[in-house]
Amino acid sequence: MGYKWIGAVLVVVGCGGFGFSLARETLRQEALLRGLLTSLELMENEIRCRLTPLPQLCRLAARGRNGALRSFFLSLGRDLEKGTASQAQQCVSNILEQQKDLPVPVRRVLKQMGASLGRFDLEGQLKGLRACQNACRRELGELERNRELRLRSYRTLGLCAGAALAVLLI
Amino acid sequence: MDCDWDSFLAVLPEWMRRDVDALGKHSLQELRLRLGTPPELVLSSGTWYLSRPAARQDIDFCVNLASQYSPWSVESTGEGYLPLAGGHRMGLCGKTIVKDGQVLGFRVLDSLCIRVARDIPGLAPKNAVDLGSILILGAPGWGKTTLLRCVARAVAEKEEVCVVDERQELFPRGFSRGRRMDVLSGCPKASGIPMVLRAMGPSYIAVDEITAREDAAALVHSSGCGVKLLATAHAAQKEDLRLRPCYRELLEQGIFQTVLLLTKDKSYRLERMEQWATNG
Repeated sequence: MGYKWIGAVLVVVGCGGFGFSLARETLRQEALLRGLLTSLELMENEIRCRLTPLPQLCRLAARGRNGALRSFFLSLGRDLEKGTASQAQQCVSNILEQQKDLPVPVRRVLKQMGASLGRFDLEGQLKGLRACQNACRRELGELERNRELRLRSYRTLGLCAGAALAVLLI
Repeated sequence: MDCDWDSFLAVLPEWMRRDVDALGKHSLQELRLRLGTPPELVLSSGTWYLSRPAARQDIDFCVNLASQYSPWSVESTGEGYLPLAGGHRMGLCGKTIVKDGQVLGFRVLDSLCIRVARDIPGLAPKNAVDLGSILILGAPGWGKTTLLRCVARAVAEKEEVCVVDERQELFPRGFSRGRRMDVLSGCPKASGIPMVLRAMGPSYIAVDEITAREDAAALVHSSGCGVKLLATAHAAQKEDLRLRPCYRELLEQGIFQTVLLLTKDKSYRLERMEQWATNG
């Protein structure tokens, strides 16, 4: 009898944990997108004011960021400095392929950023970065819309699903 | 150092480096890449072609490495070239981006001409410091910049020389300078000449390739301030010089006392300006 209850508790905790981890992942995506937006704004200002070349720009963008985003920008700066591909876009794709821990919305914006880098005319380059910022804001807006409701749903659903499963199993 | 060869090789695609290094380390003058055709190596002894044709990604690779993937950060792309480390120069050709009549850059590149900067010491006339203001004339590729470098260095052993090195080709890092030489790099000549005149108190100002009226005007102004000049101009013969309005004023004002006339084989002939005046 005791084993049944222990099993039930474990099922509830497991499912609840899954719900909570989904909620945490959503918050992480938001934080990454906010960080990326800040980096893109910094890149635009640096290019506009100081015409900073991309490898240095990536190192600057990595500053103040942490985790996956920092590692992405540092790797990109390193690859651009070494000249590992014929286009900046290719360098971005190579790094995204290696770095699997970036969530899909962040990857989408980074891919767009890769496609916009390395233009000949300054105005075109700035426009490309602004378009990336807008894409980033859109993704962020999607996540922020009904955020509280969604986070609560993930947690509650996890716990409820666990409870339902436990009842069925008992 | 006679040539920063590693900086030249560094902007080439991997597959090309070994062959270019083996064939051209000591005698390459320029490397031409044209989309879909084998790269052409212009050596001092003749022309050589690599076997594999240049692809779009090879051209992109060269430009991106030369500009650190940031062609927009190099102002001279609008003028059709990229300065490379070591004083080399990458000429660009393809479909341009034009806005309000001004070339902003290139949409697509089809050809590159990468010129190797070599320092060949000992070319300057022995009495360079006694020749007054010197104008070096020659067609593209005849060695104007190389000769100007030698003349400036020779003069700088005895006099204060300020070099306004707009294209960063004259005295890149690693090339030996004269004892009394200051170099203003990457600055347009028309702005740089008055700057060094005010700030550095030179006896001589050296500039490469006078091509615009404002450059000529800045030279006339500095000459009026008692400074001697060392300069180069595109002209295969002296008659060419008289045809171009921007040089006419320089000639009329009698700013230069000596002309060094280069020939295709890179030798030169020294002529005094008075000779020109009397000969017409």
